[in-house]
Parts: sequence; C-alpha cells; structure tokens
Amino acid sequence: MTAPSATASPPGGSAAASQVIAALQHALAAEQAASYGYGVVGAHLPQGSALQATAATDWITHMRLRDRLSALISARGTQPVPAAVAYQLPAPVQSSGEAQTLAALLEDGVAQAYLGLVALPEKGLRSFGAQQVRAAALRAEAWRGSTQAFPGLPDSSLRRS
Amino acid sequence: MADGVAARMARGPSRRVVLAASSASLPLLLAACKGVQALGSPPPPAADVSTLRAAISAEEVMVARYAAALSYLRTSLPPKGTAADILSVSDIEAVQSEHGEHLAQLKSRLVEPPGSRPTPSPTPSVQVTGSLSDVLSMLEQAEQAASDRLLSQLGVLPGSLAQLFASIAASEATHVPLLTAAGRGR
Repeated sequence: MTAPSATASPPGGSAAASQVIAALQHALAAEQAASYGYGVVGAHLPQGSALQATAATDWITHMRLRDRLSALISARGTQPVPAAVAYQLPAPVQSSGEAQTLAALLEDGVAQAYLGLVALPEKGLRSFGAQQVRAAALRAEAWRGSTQAFPGLPDSSLRRS
Repeated sequence: MADGVAARMARGPSRRVVLAASSASLPLLLAACKGVQALGSPPPPAADVSTLRAAISAEEVMVARYAAALSYLRTSLPPKGTAADILSVSDIEAVQSEHGEHLAQLKSRLVEPPGSRPTPSPTPSVQVTGSLSDVLSMLEQAEQAASDRLLSQLGVLPGSLAQLFASIAASEATHVPLLTAAGRGR
C-alpha cells in the first residue's frame, strides 16, 4: 500500500484544498466510529475465540488508519475533528451474531467514506482511498460471509436502466 | 494609409492575398470534392473513454468466463453432486450475478456520440477444464488480476468514474476469499 504524501497544498487556500480536507475529515470520522464500534464488537464475541482475535486485529488497523488520517489533516494545516465520546450504533448488539453484523456495517461505512478520497484528483490520496475501500470490503466479506456488488457506493449513485 | 487600403479594395485582392486564400482554401475544396473521408480520421478517444471501454471488454470476458465455468461444472459434476459441490456452484452463480451488475454499470457510463453505431463486441470464448478445485482456482486468479487492473487505471478517470472502478475493484477482490471458502466447502 502506498502512503499518500504528507506534503500539503497551502492551508486555507482554494476550494480544491477545502474538498481534500472535507474528504479526509469524513474518512477520519468513519475511522473513529469504527475504532469505537470494534470495542463493542470485541466485547460481544466469545472470549479468547478466533473471532475475537480477528476483531482485535481489525480494531488496531482502524486505530492506525485513524492516526494516519489525523496526520494527513494536520500536515495540511487543519485541526483533525475530535472523536465523539460515544456513537449511535447502526444496529443493536447483544449476541455474537449481532456483533459480526455490526463489524460488517462498520466496514461498509469506512468503505463509503474512503470513496470520498477516490473522487479527489490528487493521485496519492486517490490511490490510498481505493486501497482502503478494497481492504474494508475484504474485512466486511470476512465478517458477513458474502460479497457486495458495489462496496461503499450508495444505491442512489448507481444508474438503473 | 486608409486611402491606400481603400484603393486596393477597389482594385480587387492583391496577388499576395489571393495566394494566401488559395492555399488556405485548398484543403476545404479538396474535402468538398472527396467527401467526409478527406476531413481525416476522427481524433482518438480521450484516455478515460479508452479506459472505460477496456474495462467493459474485460468485464464481458469475466462474465463469459463464469458462464463457461458454470456450464462446464453443470455437465461435468456427477448427477448427485455432494452438498459442498452444490454450494460451490451456487456461490459461483452469486458471483456471476455481481459481474453482470458491474458490466451494466460500466456500460451505463459510456456515452456514445449521437448517430454512432457502437460495434457489438463478439462474445468472448473461454475454455474451462479440470476439477471443481481447478475451476475455482482459475476464477480466483482472474478476480485478483481484474481487481488489480482496475485499481491501476484510476489515474486517468474523472472522480465519479474512479469511484465506480474502485468499488468494482473492491468487489472483485472479495470474490477471491469467497471462492476459496467455496472450494473448502465452507
């Protein structure tokens, strides 16, 4: 995976620079939500199980990506959005099965957020975003046990004949 | 000076003006005689259009590959295949359906100029042989290669098309573990 360049366009500049910051902040918010959500996922999986180990690995991945995105935003002279104290979960979690469903939904949200980076013209950020969409889709497949035709893309963006 | 110009206009075009006009209008005159062909070949399509067309062709090959694989497996598997065999085939059918959706979305983004008749691409021919495991392995390799190829093409695309390519690349990458699990009988 290629890390995007930390060298920035001038802070507070053009509309293009604002779009980059907005997309990075959106991806950061998704990673913060995933970092929180995986704590809930891990707590509802069988103690010491392979599933719980996978959840721990994924949780660490999201925290690292959260830190990388924060650094990219700071390098552009902007303050990263702080994480919320708590997040509204997309689905209630009271069992191992519901925890796995939550993990898949968290990855869907992350994939959608990284597609915002793919829309940017900056080559490094576009590539980074696309790699992360793929990584999130792979984690979602592992949790869900099935695939999606268009990971991260909302139905409204698809053209129906 | 203005008088000089007026006088020249009154006399008619100078020799120099006539030569310039002749050399400039010659190609147009020739074009008029020879018809549209003489205007030259149309400009090559933009990089994003070429990339989209290539992606559509590659997806058509992928759809044909799955059709060939399913046809082969349905005829080569024993009449009473094991539950794992049947499950594998249903997984392959699910993936084939997603490729059909990829192809439809890619085609919907290609806007042909009015009046043009896109040449229908011939149905790709794909040969499938071997055991169920061989077929799954062949499909896994094709999926990974397709995903990598789409990601390598993002640079020339406008933002929304790059998002579609990235999403399809992600989907095709997820087919690899799904097919691997199908081979293990899930």
